Amino acid sequence: MVKEIEVEPVTRLEGHGALHLTLGDDGTVKDVQFNIQSTRFFEKFVEGRYCEHIPRITPRICGICPIPHHLTPTKAVEDAWKVEIPEPAYKLRQLLQNAKQYSSHALHFYALAAPDFLLGPFADPALRNVVHVINKMPDVGAMALKMMDFGQKLCAEIGGKSVHPISAIVGGMKKPMDEDARDKFLKQIEDQVEWSKKTVEIGLKVVEDYWDVVANVGVVPTYYVGMTKNGVHDIYDGDIRIVTPDGKKIDYAPQNYLDALGEHIPPHSYATHMYYKPAGYPEGIYRANTLAMLNCADKMATPLADEALKAMRAKVGTDVIHHTFAYHWARLIELVESIEVIATLLQDPDIVNPDCKTLDVEPREGQGVGVTEAPRGLLLYNIWSDNDGICKKANLLVATNHNIAGIEKTLMHVAKQVFEDKALEGLKLPDPWIK
Amino acid sequence: MLPALDIVYWPAVVDFKEDSLKARPDGDVLVGFVEGSLRTNKDLEQAKLMREKCQLIIAFGSCSCYGNVHGLANQWDIQEAIDRKFTQAESITNESPKEPTVHMPGFTSKIVPLDEVIKVDAYIAGCPPKPEQIISAVQFLLGQKPQPMADAPFCSECVLRDSGCVLEKGVLCFGPITSAGCSLKCTSDGKPCVGCFGPSKAVDARVGKLTDMVKNADSLSSGDKKNLYEFLALFLNVPLMAGFDLAGDILKQVKKKGTPQTPLANLPSETEQVASTIMSYLRDHRDFTEISTVCDTCPRIIGSKSTMTRVKRDYEGLPNMEDCFIEQGYLCAGPITRAGCGGLCIRVNAPCSGCYGQTEWNVNQAERFAEVATKGFNVALSKEELLSQMKDKLGFSEKFTLAANKNYR
Repeated sequence: MVKEIEVEPVTRLEGHGALHLTLGDDGTVKDVQFNIQSTRFFEKFVEGRYCEHIPRITPRICGICPIPHHLTPTKAVEDAWKVEIPEPAYKLRQLLQNAKQYSSHALHFYALAAPDFLLGPFADPALRNVVHVINKMPDVGAMALKMMDFGQKLCAEIGGKSVHPISAIVGGMKKPMDEDARDKFLKQIEDQVEWSKKTVEIGLKVVEDYWDVVANVGVVPTYYVGMTKNGVHDIYDGDIRIVTPDGKKIDYAPQNYLDALGEHIPPHSYATHMYYKPAGYPEGIYRANTLAMLNCADKMATPLADEALKAMRAKVGTDVIHHTFAYHWARLIELVESIEVIATLLQDPDIVNPDCKTLDVEPREGQGVGVTEAPRGLLLYNIWSDNDGICKKANLLVATNHNIAGIEKTLMHVAKQVFEDKALEGLKLPDPWIK
Repeated sequence: MLPALDIVYWPAVVDFKEDSLKARPDGDVLVGFVEGSLRTNKDLEQAKLMREKCQLIIAFGSCSCYGNVHGLANQWDIQEAIDRKFTQAESITNESPKEPTVHMPGFTSKIVPLDEVIKVDAYIAGCPPKPEQIISAVQFLLGQKPQPMADAPFCSECVLRDSGCVLEKGVLCFGPITSAGCSLKCTSDGKPCVGCFGPSKAVDARVGKLTDMVKNADSLSSGDKKNLYEFLALFLNVPLMAGFDLAGDILKQVKKKGTPQTPLANLPSETEQVASTIMSYLRDHRDFTEISTVCDTCPRIIGSKSTMTRVKRDYEGLPNMEDCFIEQGYLCAGPITRAGCGGLCIRVNAPCSGCYGQTEWNVNQAERFAEVATKGFNVALSKEELLSQMKDKLGFSEKFTLAANKNYR
């Protein structure tokens, strides 16, 4: 008898999704669908808007990563209008993007991912959440909250609001950082770096504890998509990079994104299926997000993070890592990089320099592409402007969307492991930290 | 406060599935926060499910209050939006791409605010709402606010009780129907009581004077009219939900409801009468705008050294931090936007874009802006000139509220 398994909704997900799994009467996996059930048509209703207002609309795509959705369309309009921004604005944006990366990665690890590992996969669903983690491990909980709080407050300081920022404008930034505020954040850096290291230690302990799972469940060779600047890990600026399953790296300038990124409309998900165009669909399905970013990087931008990347590659034994459960590990390496970048930029006098906006900005007809790396993956805006700077049309390829096909491919792989190979039966699982 | 909450459904954070919510008896959950706009049929279903299971529904954020930016899609037939995303996008590679329909909910033809689909008990606007508002609402729900109704009215312990009563001097004062026991004691400074401590069980004899005054609300001073508004907001408990800053959409409630509905039970009939008189007054005065706008809380100078001589776009130059944006030439939705945010955007040199909602509903907001801007600000343009220089009127004046404006249905 054919059996359908439905998970509705998929929880601890930043959006609305369900999972449908079909098993044949012989127990084999027939079909896996990752159904993303919502979309809001931002690409349509930005038409007719002032191009410079798009960055005030699109952050509403995501309450967790509104900052990349503020900065990326700004970059796209600057590309369309051929506007250069002053160096202080570039650094302020880098700082803002990294502040978001820091709070988002801390939130992801502690609030979205950690409950699975700290309580174990068989815990009562009623307890498997961040509230319970905070109750049971108050020290770790307090540290996690202070990390998120630091990142969010820094976002609010530079962006005006931590959620849905407003300070970037075509041509630069509306305002430099206040010196007093800068000093206040600088004072906290030492603690934050310590806590980041501590978080990596917790993460490594989890990886060790669950090594059998990490090394054996969901090891799926795919393509990867990310961004690097001259090969170095960068989340604000750079070229699109594709990594093939066997580790070949291919770079594309943002303007040439259509040569690399194909969008397949599947019948069962509003979030579409992205893939590497030259490899075709579905062969070219890629994954995005933290592990993909690390697979793309020749090296990290900062010393502690680069050391951690080297350690990870040494432990797994390859440069390209296909281990799905290593995404959390990769996220913590990015977390360390973000706090190192923040520490450096907070000491840079440019961030308090009032020369943060190009004053003579003129709209022009044309199209522009902006790319950044959001905490959940590559983020791309292609915006068409008319002569008056009114948006004619837009194409948005958003972060999680880049990962949907890759997630579904991974789910199929894992479903086969679970239902056909009974791979879970012999797995070594640790005693949960929280019982 | 997190440990005090028993969270039974919150997909983004907690692992309960939809079935567990469906399995609960109706009204089993004390309070539901509904966020997000109603774009898909699934969104509608979820909203209705929440209404069935929750005793109190809070429209949380400007998406559920007003439809938010998603409502801008109402400018087009939904099919045009579907086509743009699923068949026309430049990156699509299918030979004949189609709208996904397998296990997909389908789309609503237009976005409408939550309260057009289910009954809403309270509103917390903002995109996003300020954390203080959320904390205040949750504290209220946890029973930390408001104070219980006191037996005696404020008058019983007013310092002006025997001589110098402000009400008797003709100033609107809600002392006769408000609970005693507050620490503010506004009348000690010669100011009237605005009723912030909530209704009392007994009323003072001076209530007759109060009733007469609200029955002749037209003759009240503008300051007193504003107090009417504040009183009613307090009476309906909306500001308690929204941080005491008029951010809950009281005006919308007033326009919609025929009679006052307060969560507090067994009010004295005199108190009910005062409240319903004020309710009728506010409801029947379409032009009632004695409501705080973002400008009321903006630190910038109105009547500054600058004057708008043409409409500037946001990318032009860089505004100074002192003068009103409008007077510097920039479009700022402050004068048509409800207060509550504390001017967060303004603090980083960005004009208001209206995320807390309007101060008047179901009117042409661009025209209203032009009217207000040319009257109350240094603007050297006529209303018509200002309007003609606004290239994206809807995007500027209805960015967060188009779905709530019945003129565009």
